[in-house]
Amino acid sequence: MELSFDRLTKQYGSKIAVDRVSAVLKPGVYGLLGENGAGKTTLMRMLCAILEATSGEVFFNGEEITAMGAAYRNILGYLPQDFGYYPNYTATEFLRYIAALKGIPGNIAKKRIRELLEIVGLDHVASKKVKTFSGGMKQRVGIAQALLNNPQVLILDEPTAGLDPKERVRLRNLLADYAGNKIVILSTHIVPDIEAIADEVLLMKSGKLILQGTVPQLVQKADGKVWELSVSEKEARRWETETTVANFRHEGSQVVLRILSDTKPAEYAIPCEATLEDLYLYYFGTTEGADKDENS
Amino acid sequence: MKIVKRELFRMEHKKLWRKTGVRISVFLCFTYVVIFGTVLSFQWFALGSRSGYSTAFGNHFDGYSVIKDSQEYTQSFTGDLTDETLQQLVRDYQRMSDAGMDEESQRTDYLTINIWLEMLWPELKDSANYNQMISYVDPEGLTGLYERRQQAMEEFLENNNQTGREKEYILKMEEKVGIPFRYDWTQGWSILLGEVIGGMGAVMALFLAIPLSSIFSGEWHDNTGALIMTTKNGWQQIAYVKICTGIAFTAELFAVLTLGILISQWFFLGAAGWDTSIQNIKMLAVAPMNMLQAEIYELAFTFLGAVGYAGIVMLLSAAIKSNVLALLLSLAVAYAPSTVARYLPYGAQKAMDLIPLAGSGADIFRTNTFHILGKYIWSPYLLITVPVLIGMICIPFTAMRWSRRLKV
Repeated sequence: MELSFDRLTKQYGSKIAVDRVSAVLKPGVYGLLGENGAGKTTLMRMLCAILEATSGEVFFNGEEITAMGAAYRNILGYLPQDFGYYPNYTATEFLRYIAALKGIPGNIAKKRIRELLEIVGLDHVASKKVKTFSGGMKQRVGIAQALLNNPQVLILDEPTAGLDPKERVRLRNLLADYAGNKIVILSTHIVPDIEAIADEVLLMKSGKLILQGTVPQLVQKADGKVWELSVSEKEARRWETETTVANFRHEGSQVVLRILSDTKPAEYAIPCEATLEDLYLYYFGTTEGADKDENS
Repeated sequence: MKIVKRELFRMEHKKLWRKTGVRISVFLCFTYVVIFGTVLSFQWFALGSRSGYSTAFGNHFDGYSVIKDSQEYTQSFTGDLTDETLQQLVRDYQRMSDAGMDEESQRTDYLTINIWLEMLWPELKDSANYNQMISYVDPEGLTGLYERRQQAMEEFLENNNQTGREKEYILKMEEKVGIPFRYDWTQGWSILLGEVIGGMGAVMALFLAIPLSSIFSGEWHDNTGALIMTTKNGWQQIAYVKICTGIAFTAELFAVLTLGILISQWFFLGAAGWDTSIQNIKMLAVAPMNMLQAEIYELAFTFLGAVGYAGIVMLLSAAIKSNVLALLLSLAVAYAPSTVARYLPYGAQKAMDLIPLAGSGADIFRTNTFHILGKYIWSPYLLITVPVLIGMICIPFTAMRWSRRLKV
């Protein structure tokens, strides 16, 4: 099984939302990482065939997805970022409706819905109206609907938005179990989520895919660029304005800064082990990292 | 696959009925048409006995007994309507009136009979006398009922510029009306056919527009477009399912109202008078029908008009993203024609009658025609068929429009 896209581009007037993005995705979990407006949602919508590409094509097992039509939609599960629901439906009814839209026969749908509501931890509120749910609960209904047809391609746009830490862990485990021989693409701002679950990360910036690789491969790119140094509070403020500070913590009267820098920022700076978050900040930081690209 | 579509329809249908606005609309429509328009109309506003107050609300709450008394009183006159029957009816009314038997005189068909007298014997009307003609006209002078009706019919057509072939067509049709008319107490049927069922369409338009105008546009409000588009059945299936749901809802609303009306009718009027001529209600009507046939026509007219109207409303809903704008335009379709008609040429006015629910079920009493491709067609034939055809034509455009909207 393979989902590939070739020089996929989406242009709105003079603005290029997605710029010649190409990739070949095999079964596994793919984390789409990037700041707001990086083009993640646009890319996902094109992968779902609900947004027409300005140029480029998307193929599933070598077949163009818009030509596949209902056959592609049959193997697709999608959670949109701005997930809409019918407020007067209960969770079960909403899922029954989506199951009917997905062409799942009633008796099969009933069983599947029960399972999914249990998996996402909503079985105790199955007969409550969705409009009474919290943001996190609604998001879990959205995740359940995406999984209804047991899709081979699962695309989740910001699935962890609104979820509390416990729910996020539950989702991670769910996706890890689910992925097996399926293609799962998820986007999020929450780097630890991607770090914990993604087999591969696609880093997008200004509509371009600037990096792709496994978490260790990407983290490697930030190796030698992460430093820790202990400074006074007054100095800390200076460092903050002049460099990309990933973290700072107080230790007595001193402040320990975690700084991202290509070169050793100070004699007394100690090199640290990089994380995916460091890499993210390295590329999307506000100062020296702001202009980094794949050639850095 | 069929089972899945049935399931989808069931869920879509449930979704529509789950909306609070839909339930309130059905409740209000039922209250207006059945409770106020039928039950309270029979029991109070229209057929409750008069107590001297000038408004209908001043009537007594005794319509049921008035109806039963009236039906019982009329039994001795039931049958063929001849000059003699008419004279007897007038004479009996005058007897009661002269004896100050106001309550008893209200059992008679005096309102209907008075209209006949004014239309057919205008020369007997005393313009200086403000009482109703039935109370003073000499019964002996009321002769030649059907000859006078024929003459009145011809004059009516001439005055409407319905001459030549059109007049010939109408008169030929009129020949099929059975003479003598069969008569029974008319007032109840007059209210039922003229106001209750006749006016049902206009009320239904409002309460159909509220739920159906958001059937498609509501998806934008609920922000569910992306979900629908990424499912196997997708936009096209859901479009047809929504259309089926809209038509089913229309049928259900119609069924609820009709059932309410029929039960009320059975309770208050019973079956008495079902076989009497509709000419008792409108003397110059040309449809060769009895009351029951006219009721069936009016119900069919309302149902088919409602289906046609639902088709237009759903097209507007699919074409417009805003629920409010779709609702306003839907209401304009039903109510604007009657508002603007007076400013339009006659031909345009007649064309506007063909818009679903813009007309009335009481069109069965009409004596005019449509002139199409050199042929004259009695207007009720087109008024009952064209609106539903307009609705049917809207269906593929609705699906296409919805599909195009969702592709963006």
